[in-house]
Amino acid sequence: MPAVAFRDVSASRGGRSVLHDVSLTVGARETVALVGRSGSGKTTLLRLVNRLISPDAGQVMVDDQDVATWDPIVLRRRIGYVIQEAGLFPHMTVAGNIATVPILLNWDANRIRARVDELLSLVGLEPGQFRHRWPDELSGGERQRVGLARALAADPPLLLMDEPFGALDPITRGELHEEFVRVQSALHRAVILVTHDIGEAFQLADRVAVLHDGRIIAVGTRAELAASADPHVARLVGGPPSLRFGETG
Amino acid sequence: MALIEFFLSHRAELAARLGEHVILVLASTAIAAAIGIPLGIVAARRPSLSRPIVAIANLAQTIPSLALFGFLIPLPLVGGIGTRTALVALTLYAVLPILRSTITGLQGVPASVIECAVAMGLTPRQVLSRVEWPLALPSIVSGLRVAVVIGVGTATIASAIGAGGLGDYIFRGLAMVDGTVILAGALPAALLAIAADAALALAGRAADPRRRRPAATGALVAIVMVVVTGAAWASRADPRHEIVVGSKNFTEQVVLGELLAQLIERETGIGVERRLNLGGTAIAHRAVLSGGIDLYVEYSGTALTAIFNQPPATGSDTVFREIRDRYAAVGLTALPRLGFNNTFAILVRRADAERHGLKTIGDLNRLRDWRAGFGYEFLERPDGFTGLAAAYGLRFANQPRVMDLNLIYRAVASKEIDVTAGDATSGLIDALDLVILEDDRHYFPVYDAVPVARATMLLRHPEVADVLRRFEGRISAAEMQRMNYAVDGEKRDPAQVARAFLDTIDRFYVQPR
Repeated sequence: MPAVAFRDVSASRGGRSVLHDVSLTVGARETVALVGRSGSGKTTLLRLVNRLISPDAGQVMVDDQDVATWDPIVLRRRIGYVIQEAGLFPHMTVAGNIATVPILLNWDANRIRARVDELLSLVGLEPGQFRHRWPDELSGGERQRVGLARALAADPPLLLMDEPFGALDPITRGELHEEFVRVQSALHRAVILVTHDIGEAFQLADRVAVLHDGRIIAVGTRAELAASADPHVARLVGGPPSLRFGETG
Repeated sequence: MALIEFFLSHRAELAARLGEHVILVLASTAIAAAIGIPLGIVAARRPSLSRPIVAIANLAQTIPSLALFGFLIPLPLVGGIGTRTALVALTLYAVLPILRSTITGLQGVPASVIECAVAMGLTPRQVLSRVEWPLALPSIVSGLRVAVVIGVGTATIASAIGAGGLGDYIFRGLAMVDGTVILAGALPAALLAIAADAALALAGRAADPRRRRPAATGALVAIVMVVVTGAAWASRADPRHEIVVGSKNFTEQVVLGELLAQLIERETGIGVERRLNLGGTAIAHRAVLSGGIDLYVEYSGTALTAIFNQPPATGSDTVFREIRDRYAAVGLTALPRLGFNNTFAILVRRADAERHGLKTIGDLNRLRDWRAGFGYEFLERPDGFTGLAAAYGLRFANQPRVMDLNLIYRAVASKEIDVTAGDATSGLIDALDLVILEDDRHYFPVYDAVPVARATMLLRHPEVADVLRRFEGRISAAEMQRMNYAVDGEKRDPAQVARAFLDTIDRFYVQPR
């Protein structure tokens, strides 16, 4: 059973059509990266999964059930969500941020405390040192690690990540890539990762879907994409790193 | 020094006024918060609603406070005279800063933070209570600070509609031209504003999530509860007083209000509540019409022209009969005249009168470049300035200035203006060495002092009607001027002056009962 399946999905944002007949399947233990330039529709595709937006046509299935029929609150509590600036709650400590969903799920205090420490260790932060820190006392990389820990708090089977490493310096980004690979090899969740960096996509994902003007023009492993005849895909995969979309994040 | 003496001698009263003031401000702020915060939450969510909501709140804010009181007095439920109306007006003023700061605070929450909260499966209510509210709280607290500081200032004006508070001293001081009494109200009000601002600044810091938010929230809840209780206490009717006597906001009116109140208390033993210093003829009239007060002293000429919109008339009896009938038609009773005619007096400095040989109003035309200043009512009413200028062919170099009725005498004495129109019975005329120019063309109509009472009150208390009827003709113009001077010139307490007067006339007034 796939974790997520898009079936002929079309969607629009602010009256402008941004996705056309997109179909894609993400396996239960699979990491799929969505790549494409700004405006290609990759973030829109991601947000369809946890119903931050709704499709105009087609179906988005989570665990073989159309998300339109899920209770959105129940749906979202089993989907981890990580975004570029981490989106940490500035009025809560690191522990408070991570504990948000467990508190909503009425876990008891001891279980929450243990879970927070476990997750901090998992993302490479020393619990005793970071538990009571405030978000604005953290570096960009530390914030992103906390964001990941928060997304994993209630042990969701599915993780959505929207350019989670986009705002980081190259060294920190490299560290977090390693961290992600380590975490994923331990947890094996279904992950959908939005990125504009094809290198990051190949490093972290099992398969890569290339979006262009609201359509998926190719899906596959690095080797499969390298064999593609599509000029956009060829330029993306084959071009030197400096020419990759010319974006900075 | 005089101020400290005043504070010491008026300790109990000062505490009461301060208490009223605090309750007015806190209660109105609490009600405004109960309105403004939910409204702000709605407005922040629906930008299409935000504009009209803020526009309406803005509009309420721009209405001058006295005008707002004037609008409110005749309204059912929210209107009338006293604490309730003042609360409504102060609440209207406090809503805007609270509403604004709520909208600003909520809109300042980063979109990415809200997106994460929604994506994590927080319900809309949880997003509000756990994320948006705590992040907007510092802004909302700053709005509350603004509302409270504005409220402390505006609440002084509430005195004009009988709501009490520190404004009582300010208005009384203005009426008596006594800086000490003004300061006795203004200084505590200023200190109160500073203290309230500092207290809320502390509350704002306590609302900082990095300190102890639950404690701060608890404190806020406690404050709101105390305030609501206080408001309920403040707005409850005082059962001990069966009759409410009012007065307008100048010395003679305050003395007359005290006089009638004490007279009723002495002769009938009925408890009388005083709502003195109401902000003008319109407010006093609306108050007696609506039952906010039961009795106040009006002047026959004022009633005829300013209340019933009739052309000015001469002849004391004619005017009295006319207004008695018109009052009867609206459920009010014009009781027998008190005995003196407080007509307008055109006043100049004695030195000017002697230097230029001014005797009559017409003589003013001998002066060049004289500056006039009048109370607002005098400029507006048909028997006031316009008619006067026409009757005497007065030529003005400058547009007359509009001044507070309580300041005009001082303004002439201090040469800010040269001519004004005051009350013929004002004690300040002698005190400030001013002279009355003769009205040789009999322009000014009669202004006999007439107690005006609610007919229903007189039916309920026939003994009060009897006492007031027997008071006919008891106060001469000279006596009124002396009483006014005792307050304005000798700085004596109006209640004390009224008591002394009643003591002297009691000798021949008391009849076997």
